[in-house]
Amino acid sequence: MQGFALYPFDPPGDIASLRADLRAWLAVNQPQSDVVARANCWASFDPDFSCALGAAGYVGMTLPARYGGGDRHPLERYVVIEELLAAGAPVGAHWIADRQTAPLILRYGSEEQRERYLPGIARGELYACIGLSEPGAGSDLAAVRTMARETADGWRINGQKIWTTGAHFSHIMLALVRTEEGSERNVGLSQLLIDLDTPGITIRPIIDMAGHHDFNEVFFDDALVPHGALVGEHGQGWKQVTAELGLERSGPERYLSSHALLVALIDTAGPDPAPAIATLIGELTAEMWTLRQLSMSTAAKLAAGEDPMVEASVVKELGNAFEQDMPRRVQAIVTSGWDDEDDLARLLRALLIASPSFSLRGGTREVIRGIIARGLGLR
Amino acid sequence: MSDARALLCDTARAVFAEAETVGIAPIEEAGFGLLLVAEEQGGFGGDWGDVNAVLQIAGMAVPDLPVAELIAGETLQPAATVSLMAGAMDRALTLSIDHVNTRQQFGRPLGKFQAVQQSLAVMACEVRAVGAVAAALAARLDTAKLDAAAAGFEIAAAKLRANRAVGVVTSIAHQVHGAIGFTAEYELHRLTVPLMRWRGAHGNDDHWAQILGRQVAALGGRGLWDTMTARDA
Ligand SMILES: Cc1cc2nc3c(=O)[nH]c(=O)nc-3n(C[C@H](O)[C@H](O)[C@H](O)COP(=O)(O)OP(=O)(O)OC[C@H]3O[C@@H](n4cnc5c(N)ncnc54)[C@H](O)[C@@H]3O)c2cc1C
Repeated sequence: MQGFALYPFDPPGDIASLRADLRAWLAVNQPQSDVVARANCWASFDPDFSCALGAAGYVGMTLPARYGGGDRHPLERYVVIEELLAAGAPVGAHWIADRQTAPLILRYGSEEQRERYLPGIARGELYACIGLSEPGAGSDLAAVRTMARETADGWRINGQKIWTTGAHFSHIMLALVRTEEGSERNVGLSQLLIDLDTPGITIRPIIDMAGHHDFNEVFFDDALVPHGALVGEHGQGWKQVTAELGLERSGPERYLSSHALLVALIDTAGPDPAPAIATLIGELTAEMWTLRQLSMSTAAKLAAGEDPMVEASVVKELGNAFEQDMPRRVQAIVTSGWDDEDDLARLLRALLIASPSFSLRGGTREVIRGIIARGLGLR
Repeated sequence: MSDARALLCDTARAVFAEAETVGIAPIEEAGFGLLLVAEEQGGFGGDWGDVNAVLQIAGMAVPDLPVAELIAGETLQPAATVSLMAGAMDRALTLSIDHVNTRQQFGRPLGKFQAVQQSLAVMACEVRAVGAVAAALAARLDTAKLDAAAAGFEIAAAKLRANRAVGVVTSIAHQVHGAIGFTAEYELHRLTVPLMRWRGAHGNDDHWAQILGRQVAALGGRGLWDTMTARDA
């Protein structure tokens, strides 16, 4: 299969000591959070932890030093984030800014934008959200309607975003908006970096079925942002967003967000599990091991400057299936009441409820399979 | 891929193409049995990365010939089978894509239908997964100097993952081919029947799941992560 060559994960530097240092740091600095909070840790918001992590040099690792970054290799960052996720560290506050927004600003942003935003992101103090979805534009992202009109004073924005994770605690939104009146589909779109304290912006919570407030509606009512808010080139928003999604889809968070459940299953089963449980542990391990190889090879390809859209989609598709399957398969085999309060039961309940979102966020299963099919030459 | 390995693969493709009609003899004559034998002992001095590449080609071209037995010893047969499976699955995917791009129904190629595209995307994910575990296993066997016991974790994980991919890959490949894929004349069964056989050979799903599951249970939850990260090649 052409285009599917495996990239060797070959980070520079001493990876073993990078891991050891971080594990030692976490042993001292990780808040003693509850097992359920640890499970979906990239949604756990803890600004104090984010700042401490930034001060220790584990945020903005790949950014250049002149913007407060660590000048580290992307694969060193990969190792750090997989350790953070495996430990269940509360990385939710700075997660999107570090993963997505900072690399985008570095790649497409103006010098002024870089100087203004990157140091705060690297300190673990400045948080960002992704303004893509709208009520009429979900899977069909090119149907974006939110309009930014260029005036003498700057861009005037009108419209609405929805499902915006973390908008209520974020400082900035990187939004995909229409900057050419009357344009259709994926032309005439641009990306704007919007300070969320701008007058005319209203953020309203949406409570999810787990009872959490993670995502929001964001309304723009004649909000005025400066000319300098444009990121990259006018009209190139679609191309830039596509690059951004590659970063979003292939990371270790695509198979490690339910890791705490596997850990609890193994620890509950003990060293001599019943055959059926040993089988399940074996199957889940083989799947996770495979996903880790795929994800690392995709990270290596990204680090080499390529654009592995298809590989990233394979990781997301298989990772989502694994993470949705795991709580169901565990429930099918362990004796545990829905309302039990031991760790395994609470984790199971939380992940069963959270898991429908896994194959929605970052692109739905059908959309992801469509991207893979395109990579196979079928579209 | 290194130049030497690329050359090796070119040779394998040519030799296996001949073997397709006349049997194992050309493969033996070309010296593939000496692939893992050290150069000092008159062999090719290859590593498992080479074996993986050659066996994947064997899995595509001559899935019924005992090439794995020719190249590797008994303890490495499960690992060799993973490579064969990766190759055969890759070829089954290529055949499927070619077929849906040519076969027309309802006035257009089957590949233009979203339902067919989605099935093939699912299949491609499985094929890609098996390719990845085969590569990871090769890397581990090479650092472990072909010591099967030292690569026990990777062998179990890879064979189990490959076994589990067989159901999805064979059923989707046949589904998108329709009746032509069920004929003796068409090539697909030359891949799918060996895939079905290999799933049970050198340890079925249950066998490897028990081995891996018990290994992991002994490590404990955190121990699993520590072990996985410590095993990076
Ligand atoms: C937890 C969570 C966090 C999120 N965070 C953010 C965020 O921070 N920022 C942001 O911008 N968005 C965010 N989203 C939104 C997410 O990207 C969208 O939910 C997703 O893209 C799907 O859009 P939709 O919900 O409108 O569903 P729809 O587009 O209405 O789709 C509904 C169903 O129909 C299927 N479907 C749609 N079109 C087709 C087609 N052509 N062919 C086949 N099937 C199709 C879909 O696959 C899906 O199964 C988040 C979503 C979730 C659940």
